[in-house]
Amino acid sequence: MAARLAEEWFAICGGCEVTILDIGEPLLDLLEKVQIVHMPVLMDHKLYGQTGEKAEMEIPEAEVGLISGGIRSDEHKLLAQEMRRKCKTLIALGSCACHGGIPALANLYSTQEMLTKVYRESVTTDKNGFPHEEIPALTDRVYAISEVVKVDMSLPGCPTTPEMVGGALTALLEGRPFTLSTKSVCDECPTIREKKATSTLKRRLEGPTFTPGAPLNQMRCLMEQGFLCNGPATRSGCGGSEGTPRCIRAYMPCEGCFGPISEKANPMVDMMGALSTIGLDPKQIPDRAATFNRFSGAGRLRPAPKR
Amino acid sequence: MSMDLAVEQEFEPVILALACNWCSYAGADLAGISRCQYPANVRIIRVMCSGMVHPNLVIEALTKGADGVVMCGCHPGDCHYQEGNLKAERRAEAITLMLGDFGIEEERFKLAWVSASEGPQFAKLMTEFTEQIKRLGPSPYKS
Repeated sequence: MAARLAEEWFAICGGCEVTILDIGEPLLDLLEKVQIVHMPVLMDHKLYGQTGEKAEMEIPEAEVGLISGGIRSDEHKLLAQEMRRKCKTLIALGSCACHGGIPALANLYSTQEMLTKVYRESVTTDKNGFPHEEIPALTDRVYAISEVVKVDMSLPGCPTTPEMVGGALTALLEGRPFTLSTKSVCDECPTIREKKATSTLKRRLEGPTFTPGAPLNQMRCLMEQGFLCNGPATRSGCGGSEGTPRCIRAYMPCEGCFGPISEKANPMVDMMGALSTIGLDPKQIPDRAATFNRFSGAGRLRPAPKR
Repeated sequence: MSMDLAVEQEFEPVILALACNWCSYAGADLAGISRCQYPANVRIIRVMCSGMVHPNLVIEALTKGADGVVMCGCHPGDCHYQEGNLKAERRAEAITLMLGDFGIEEERFKLAWVSASEGPQFAKLMTEFTEQIKRLGPSPYKS
């Protein structure tokens, strides 16, 4: 019997759903083993019943539940709880679900400040009232799924990689364990590191020095070349079976999309430590909290303390 | 604060000193054998080099119970590992920047150079730092 799969999306762009499609050929094998029972992006399964006859939101029972996106409204919260009730295994898909992702950058401001900025103060916006009719209320901040309900498996990444989603789902269906890497991106990065910066901090568009076509192990570490790279404080795994991290393969510094290596880690402190250690000036970072928690703001970013 | 507290106890801060094995810890030792007096609020942790003190250690101390942290290393040029203390200096700059993000006063953290022969100076540094922290009051992370 095919395993039933339910998917729900919250505060997210939809990129992680595209990643599922992106699994490619292995997806055909995978689809034979699962039966999708609920997936708003794909199918018209209404939460209150097809004619809206039910009083409460309902998601069908499923063996596997996927949630992408962080929790930003009361509706998301209720749906996450409903998913938890109905799904045997709950998977947080993508960095938004695992750590809040980009939407969690809003955690740097209170909800009221954010609404005022967006609906009143933004120069390109006509001053309007805040929307309030027929929409669920916003939560006080963006939450990761694991902050609201128990999550059995986390697949970080922005978007997460097709290889990882495919691998994790296959492992789950075959009853094999699936674990994330506990190494940092730097551990899997092949570039040359000498623990000394060769330049002051540069803007990304200045472009690193490398020989096109030459193997990556002949390129100097991008951070040591002066480009902010989140590698030291980011979980590895984006490279998949190839190993080399995705961004590095494209001669770009790590964005940090896999989030911190442990739940207790504070990427900002780690990164400020890493870059000052090799001799870059920590004062030059314009917005350290947001820069180093770009994908992991849920539970980590909060409005600055008022003095 | 309420006035009915019969006996107002003086605030005794918890101060963490991270002293490098080669200079500052020896300096603290010298302060001890020379019978230099300094407040008992200071808890010294010996580290091999001030350059091994990750900002995480300082931030964690200040957010989990310490009222002040002093990081002590060899004078520039004297480092047993050539330039560990210079690394510590760069990290101290990053730590000072981040204290504000955590809502901690900058004065709660200090980097100081103490050589093995500077026992009295070590005692003076600790006395002054303890007084500074007493004036600041308990860490905002202590409720």
